[in-house]
Amino acid sequence: MPTRLLIALFLTLAAASGADTSHPGSTIYKSQCASCHGNLGEGVPGKFDEPLTGDRSLEALTKKIERTMPEEDPGSCVGEDAKQVAAYIYNAFYSPAAQARLNPITIDLTRLTISQYRTSVADLIGHFRNGSDKDWGKERGLQFFYRSPEILKPEERAKLKSNADPRKKTVKVDGRIDTLDLHLGPDSPVKDKLDPDEFELRFEGSLITPETGTYEFIVRSENGFRLSVNDREKPLIDAWVSSGETVREERASLYLIGGRAYYLAIDHFKFREKSASLQLLWKPPHGVEEIIPKRHLSPERMPKVMIVSTPFPADDRSLGYERGSSISKEWDQAATQAAITVAEHVDANLDELTRTKPDAPDRPAKLQTFAETFTEMAFRRPLDDAQKQFIASQFKTAPNPELAVKRVVLFTLKSPHFLYPGLLDSDKPDDYTVASRLALALWDSIPDKRLLQAARENRLHEKADVLRAAQRLVTDPRSRAKVDGFFHHWLELDHAEDASKDPKAFPGFDQSSLADLRTSLRLFIEDTVWSETSDYRQLLQADYLYLNSRLAKIYGKDVQTPDFQRVAFDPKQRAGVVTHPYLLASFAYTRTTSPIHRGVFLTRNIVGLSLKSPPMAVAFEESHFKPGLTMREKVTELTRDGNCMSCHSLINPLGFSLENFDAIGRWRTKDQNKPVNATSDFPINEDKKIRLTGPRDIVNHVVQAPDGHRAFIRQLFHHTVKQPTAAYGQNTLNDLQKTFAQTEFHIQKLLTEIATLTALHQIPSPAKPSPKK
Amino acid sequence: MNFPRRQFLRDLGLSAATLPFLSGLPSLTGAPTPQRRQRLIIMFSPNGTLPQDFWPDQEGENFELKPILKPLEPFKKRTLILNGIYNRVRGDGDNHMRGMSCLLTGTELLPGNIRGGGGNPAGWAGGISIDQEIKNFLQSQPNTKTRFGSLEFGVAVPNRADPWTRMSYAGANQPVAPIDDPHQMLSKLYGRMKDKDSLVSILDDVQADLKRVTSKLSARDKSLLDQHMALVRDLENDLKEADKQSSLPHRIPDIDPSLELVNDNTPEISRIQIDLLVNALANDMARVGTLQYMRSVGMAQMRWLGVEEGHHSLSHDPDTNQDSYAKLLKINQWFAGEFAYLAKRLSETPELTGDDSMLDNTLIVWTNELGKGNSHTLDNIPCVMIGGEKTFGYKMGRSIRLEQQPHNRLLLSYAQSFGHSGLKTFGEPTLCTEGPLILT
Repeated sequence: MPTRLLIALFLTLAAASGADTSHPGSTIYKSQCASCHGNLGEGVPGKFDEPLTGDRSLEALTKKIERTMPEEDPGSCVGEDAKQVAAYIYNAFYSPAAQARLNPITIDLTRLTISQYRTSVADLIGHFRNGSDKDWGKERGLQFFYRSPEILKPEERAKLKSNADPRKKTVKVDGRIDTLDLHLGPDSPVKDKLDPDEFELRFEGSLITPETGTYEFIVRSENGFRLSVNDREKPLIDAWVSSGETVREERASLYLIGGRAYYLAIDHFKFREKSASLQLLWKPPHGVEEIIPKRHLSPERMPKVMIVSTPFPADDRSLGYERGSSISKEWDQAATQAAITVAEHVDANLDELTRTKPDAPDRPAKLQTFAETFTEMAFRRPLDDAQKQFIASQFKTAPNPELAVKRVVLFTLKSPHFLYPGLLDSDKPDDYTVASRLALALWDSIPDKRLLQAARENRLHEKADVLRAAQRLVTDPRSRAKVDGFFHHWLELDHAEDASKDPKAFPGFDQSSLADLRTSLRLFIEDTVWSETSDYRQLLQADYLYLNSRLAKIYGKDVQTPDFQRVAFDPKQRAGVVTHPYLLASFAYTRTTSPIHRGVFLTRNIVGLSLKSPPMAVAFEESHFKPGLTMREKVTELTRDGNCMSCHSLINPLGFSLENFDAIGRWRTKDQNKPVNATSDFPINEDKKIRLTGPRDIVNHVVQAPDGHRAFIRQLFHHTVKQPTAAYGQNTLNDLQKTFAQTEFHIQKLLTEIATLTALHQIPSPAKPSPKK
Repeated sequence: MNFPRRQFLRDLGLSAATLPFLSGLPSLTGAPTPQRRQRLIIMFSPNGTLPQDFWPDQEGENFELKPILKPLEPFKKRTLILNGIYNRVRGDGDNHMRGMSCLLTGTELLPGNIRGGGGNPAGWAGGISIDQEIKNFLQSQPNTKTRFGSLEFGVAVPNRADPWTRMSYAGANQPVAPIDDPHQMLSKLYGRMKDKDSLVSILDDVQADLKRVTSKLSARDKSLLDQHMALVRDLENDLKEADKQSSLPHRIPDIDPSLELVNDNTPEISRIQIDLLVNALANDMARVGTLQYMRSVGMAQMRWLGVEEGHHSLSHDPDTNQDSYAKLLKINQWFAGEFAYLAKRLSETPELTGDDSMLDNTLIVWTNELGKGNSHTLDNIPCVMIGGEKTFGYKMGRSIRLEQQPHNRLLLSYAQSFGHSGLKTFGEPTLCTEGPLILT
């Protein structure tokens, strides 16, 4: 009996590992392959140390073996042998399914990423502020309010003493203004209506931030001025008292979360100075100093946003996307410092946040309710009895209720229930779990009132309900900020942030051109993703660029206004993000193109094929080549080696097909005075090659190839959920690809599908009623 | 030697990432210094005085305190009353503006856009004020360097920035705003320590919570939270260690968290601010302080004295208006009472080194931007000093009448008393040609 049990156990183990030793291919593998690839394809240091895994089909794998293996004697393992060994390898460890069986992919517990922490805190505090969920509308520009004493006739003016001013009547003019770039000279802002010698101007509204980071604000004027950003009480810049006739420049910086709107006001006044002017500029992250453009100003006045500006150590990106998979002392210290900052903010704004007054008799009760709601919101679910008791005990033991609030805030933000949203899952997942996952996936934040309400009413566990909730979330600006982050990641924009070009080779192309290109790309993406059709294919196939007058000059078009507008190109010359000059410039050297950088980016992120890391490091050095070679000739020479070509047979054709674009992404027909050759054959699999003559051929292939769709979906999934797709089942990616194709490649629908699918993961349906409060 | 801070931290084995947090841990007092701690506090009240009831009739050591100065009676022997100090600085701006912004700077105002009740519009003062000058001098030397160097207190200062509202300047065009919110001052002084206490109080609960949730997790997820737990434990130990290293000689004062900053609470706020100032100096966080009541042209309604009218309006009334005069008398007496309270608190607080009181080493000065409210004169601006006998060498217990001396000479005298002998003139050099006032 025990023996039989042992045998049964052994068989089970063997089946589980997939290494079917009785398979005929197994013998061949052991004798011919294992010495370099290891017993289970794990690799052998010094020989072939990369694991033998991949996404080729069994047929493709067989052909590859026939053609290339074993390395020392290619062609000696063919026909039935190759078939057998390929079948063995494929099922034992090569295929994704085999890998999933050998190394089951699970959902890891992760903490909030830095971005999730900041957004969650902003919304947590915002929950208690009036109007935090209000929209900043479609109108752009700022409101203005001008006033001055009535204008005097010359003879009346002559009677005025230098100091005493008997005028009582004030004249007011209101309206809208696009940007703040006023140069009035000695004149009145409203001729014949306002006194040119003495007036006060106020501009008010909100600032819409494109991305997260430090914004520098610059105000220039010879008059008195005061600038407030995100804080009505305390000006960011106070230069109310002027100093002579010279134009002063004041600067101040502020850390802001992207994709939100922040209250902004600027006051200006002139009193008998010879002239008046006012300029409001900014230097956004990765941008250059410029007058704040109209599209980043809204006349709506937004409430204050609590911003955690504490620097955190960068999140883990070893899997290609940011996730909170590790902690360190530095991280814990940053989280502690951030918690203190938030506690101080709450303390300083307590009356506003709790809607009470210092002498109100119900103040202690209101503060305790606030503390409970705060913790509930942060934990994303109703408090259990122990948690309620803890809060009550703080109010009993602290010397005063204000201090109790502070302690509860510190406790809450240091608590694992706030920092690890996934902890919910280890308990019984319920409708609150769904709410928490949706908010995290689509907003990087905590659930809002409506989501919590739906969870409370048990309306968040049927797919239709959850999908509807996700659709609402996707229309919120927070989703836009999150999607913005995805594009940053998919298009590897951090590459572009370090780009610079040789001013001798490209006169007139400088940091402000790069900043303009960044804006141009952002406008294109936003326009595409947030349109009715939200079509992924448009991202690749669009034949236009957004250009302003500066960029138009560089790219040979005619635009008169400084505002960005759509400019059509020859469809051969432009194809969506693939030919956006910002990317073409970022995947290029300072003077020359780089087909390898472009090709690697296209292979992995656009065409969606995996590449192993290069077997040896080869530097690209101009001096190694004969003068006069084209870039294509140089790269061809450099990667001639057979080892190189296993990947460069993919990389090079893709890179070469963009050779008609120089290092700043302008169309060219010559390289080194020779005609550019952009034509090559690209092997889409072992059997089939397609001819590429330029970017249009690439994108036309990609929009109908599941590999490219999957690359897009996988990265969007990673960015949204912060977990691998396979953790939600082997077929997740393929299923999503099918849905994507069925919905005409609708990006917003894909996003809601990802959020819904992951939110409902392992949620019993119908869910057990969540515990009543 | 200029020692790069990062290098220093690297030598200690600390990375830059730990810096923000470490700097949050209190090393509030720095190393104890054996020397006498010489200190200066300048108190300001606005809108001129009533000369008849302010200046003693007698000169020298035998003098009688007039009604306004009566509250100083307990400190009479340690008091020096200086008549004949003139603010001779001219230039743009009205007398209130110049009275205020030139009071401690002794420089002309820069041209600007602020319209006054007379003269040309003007801007900020054109130079550093004496409190900041002395602060910079003390901060430049290791044995007189303190955490803040100087502290700028206010009481009921309106929330606006203009030449009537600022007397301290870090330099030309750089006014220093006084802090008139005791909570804000408390958190500037002790905020991080208080946060630390709050943090310590909740860390046990965080650990308990971590333990509870960890028990339900898979081994793989558990290891992350175990790491987290270890970090929380480290933090707790670090905080306890920091506690051991820093014990303050004087405990952190408590302030009612619901105290509101409104006009009618001014008497309470004034006492809290004085207590905080004395406490901060006792804990040697600074050696120089300013205490600014309201602002020039201030309109405080001192209902606690039975005065409904605004102070500045009253100060314009002629001397013959008996009702107004009586009210102004009350107002100025009240300021004198606050000044006396400051002296009292310092005299009650022993120095850590030696057996003298803080008042022995601290010169406190009460001054005003105008000589007289209804004439707006900058002549004979009030100047009363108490204390500082052991460190300033001024001969106290006197009433002196000087012959129209520019106040620049007095400001220079403060600086030189601190050993800042390199400073030969202060503010407008032409007003300083005769050097510092000799008050020994």
